[in-house]
Amino acid sequence: MQFDRFRTKGFFSWLKLPVAKEYIYPTSRNMMFFVGGIGALLVLGLFAFNATVQQGQLVSNGPLSSNHAAFGGDCSTCHTPFQDVTSEKCSTCHEKFGDEVGVHTFASHYLYRSDDFTRVVADPNEPACFGCHTEHVGRDNPITAVADDNCLQCHAFDSFNTEHPEFDFAADSLLDDGNLKFPHTLHVNQVRDRENLGDLEQTCLYCHNATPDGTGFQPISFEDHCDTCHLTTSDATPWIATASAEGPGVLTLETLRAQQRPGSLWTYYTNPNEFQSRGATVRKTPVYHRDPWVLENLRRVRQIIYPSRNGLADLLRASGDVDPREVRTLYEEAIATLDTYADELRASPEREVQQELAEIEGLLKVVRRRLRDPYAPLDETKFLVSPAERDTSLTDADIRAYQRVVDQLTQACQKCHYVEDATIVRVQADQGNLIRAEFDHGAHIIHTRCLDCHTAIPIRESAATNTPAEWAEDNAGIQNLPSIAKCQTCHDDGKASNTCVTCHDFHPDKSQHSNLLQYLE
Amino acid sequence: MKTAVQKTAIYQKKRPGASRWANKWIQSPQWFLGFGIAVAVCLVVFVLNVVFGRVHPGSTWGLGYGIAAAVLFVGVFFYGVKRRTMKVRALGRAWYYLQFHVYGGTLFLLLMLMHVGFQVPHGVLTWWLWALSLWVVGSGLFGIVLQKWIPTLLAGGVRTEVNYDRIPELVADLQKRGDAVAESADFAVQDFYRKQIAPALAAPQFRPIYFLGIPSGMGGKAKLFASLREMQPAEERIKLDELEELYAAKMDIDAHFTLQRALRGWLYLHVPVSVIALALLGFHIFAVLYY
Repeated sequence: MQFDRFRTKGFFSWLKLPVAKEYIYPTSRNMMFFVGGIGALLVLGLFAFNATVQQGQLVSNGPLSSNHAAFGGDCSTCHTPFQDVTSEKCSTCHEKFGDEVGVHTFASHYLYRSDDFTRVVADPNEPACFGCHTEHVGRDNPITAVADDNCLQCHAFDSFNTEHPEFDFAADSLLDDGNLKFPHTLHVNQVRDRENLGDLEQTCLYCHNATPDGTGFQPISFEDHCDTCHLTTSDATPWIATASAEGPGVLTLETLRAQQRPGSLWTYYTNPNEFQSRGATVRKTPVYHRDPWVLENLRRVRQIIYPSRNGLADLLRASGDVDPREVRTLYEEAIATLDTYADELRASPEREVQQELAEIEGLLKVVRRRLRDPYAPLDETKFLVSPAERDTSLTDADIRAYQRVVDQLTQACQKCHYVEDATIVRVQADQGNLIRAEFDHGAHIIHTRCLDCHTAIPIRESAATNTPAEWAEDNAGIQNLPSIAKCQTCHDDGKASNTCVTCHDFHPDKSQHSNLLQYLE
Repeated sequence: MKTAVQKTAIYQKKRPGASRWANKWIQSPQWFLGFGIAVAVCLVVFVLNVVFGRVHPGSTWGLGYGIAAAVLFVGVFFYGVKRRTMKVRALGRAWYYLQFHVYGGTLFLLLMLMHVGFQVPHGVLTWWLWALSLWVVGSGLFGIVLQKWIPTLLAGGVRTEVNYDRIPELVADLQKRGDAVAESADFAVQDFYRKQIAPALAAPQFRPIYFLGIPSGMGGKAKLFASLREMQPAEERIKLDELEELYAAKMDIDAHFTLQRALRGWLYLHVPVSVIALALLGFHIFAVLYY
């Protein structure tokens, strides 16, 4: 039987099959939906059972970060049914300190290393904690790894390598605020030769001692870094006139001891042989760092020139403007001075003295407690000596005479220190120049050397010729810090990390992270 | 004598200006263009998201993708509803539902991937939802390929058309006719039929070789028929011709059985998993709202 396979229906074309009048849905397909339905019920049952009876790991969007791993399957620790995770839930554990601002709040971010409360402006668009701290992304993904996008909502700096502004100290050519007369090259060469150091970086680290975490440096200390060469036993004050009716001068050790002012206990322990008298003049040899005789006479001269001051400046060893971040240290130093006074009074048997001492100690406790609050408003101006407060009854000649006494008293000090308004200007010894960012020297010195980045002062060139650089290019006001371009050579896409949190903290007040009070009820 | 008006189904209409490939793979240029525009819009939106926002399922952008994907996923299920309510003309033509099913389903996958930022989710539920979505859309696209490929294979290589559901009945008919022919034949033909032909006529056979192509002849069996035919008288040769025709028809039926089975069977990869994915999607939405 032959047929054209392309023109006929083929072998069974003779069959008369019944044809339905309308579409009939093949019932065999219902089986597929049945199988799918059974599968769906089983799967839903599994997830529902896990969510209600077990710990909900199957329903969770992923494993918790190790920071929150202890919560296990207790979803209610953070979640409230049919609500977003609220910051209040986070505060349950993270904000127990009870201060008005909160360490982990936007307000604390606005106050980033400043006490300028005018910056704290509530913004309804502030995201909740979970807006930046993404959870459920695995044990090994720290919840503190905040994506740049979160920062860019407020800070339109985009990429570190394209949009980030120049560092303030480089952009504004800010001077170093160390307030010290210190030529780097001279010291580097001398330390290198004296200590027989072959490596210039070792010379740097001789004075710049990193903090244990590597993110900063310990304050420069005279005792640790300077006294090998400076203020040796051969240093002495010039012959200075003693105070008398004829003119301004200094008080001798005996006079100061007889006055029995608070804080004069040192007069009993000071060796009288360190003072030499010649007629109506006196000199002290040796002169110590923070020499109490020098400081006490300076204080006395200050009180004569600026009689209307509140006395707070007298509680400090030095004065002068401080960085807003340093105001707390002024209070702490003042409290330490008052503590010293109180210690001296404890030996006094008089009941009135003891009563006043109890009051003073009570007040000191209150002040200390307030200082624990990182956002307590502090006022540095209370500690400053202002030329406007000068005694108007003093003539210019009187002022010059007192200034001469100040200059003589501080002759040894002025080799390194500035003196203004009869006060030694406070040295910013903390070496903290980055206001808004952190820098880990420990992580960098592995890849690069100190003098690869700190090139503003010609230390290498000076060391090569063993000749100190000119003061103009080696004075202490020069910020020997790199500009952003130096950082961008390594911190770039595809190279070292260049995210916002690489350098910046949103919650910058690290000091409060160790304040265990905030974790207690 | 009336001339029958030939009605052409919407999916059979050919566009004269279009290439054979386009006619085969794109049933409606309008739907395809709309799909292309939708994909382009989605990708542009995602690029804007990357530039100006945060790529995260929980962000406003991410939630937008997720909601759009969920709406599409529910929408494509209406194709199944339509197939079960063909009597209800008011619901429109099934073809439109099919177009939405195909293009909407593919767009759902794109939106789902945008929702998760083209990354693998960390959670078990979300991972399963992600995997099942890939499976469902992948199996759907695989089904489209089968629908375009297998009918062409059958039309070009098989001379017989059979209804898949009637295959067992037709095979039984062939077997009955083969037995009848062999019964009246001599011993040699009977022996040949019993050993070589009868086993093949016993039942429909699934032969994967047909996916590679449908042979034009009967291969080795044709030689056996030819050599036996030479040794037989004329009346036996007629019976041998009948048996050969029956055998060839059975080969065609096996081709249909194999290829049409795949054409129907892929749905088992697609439909049950889709139902499970829909249930998981519902649970995912509940979990998002609850937590």
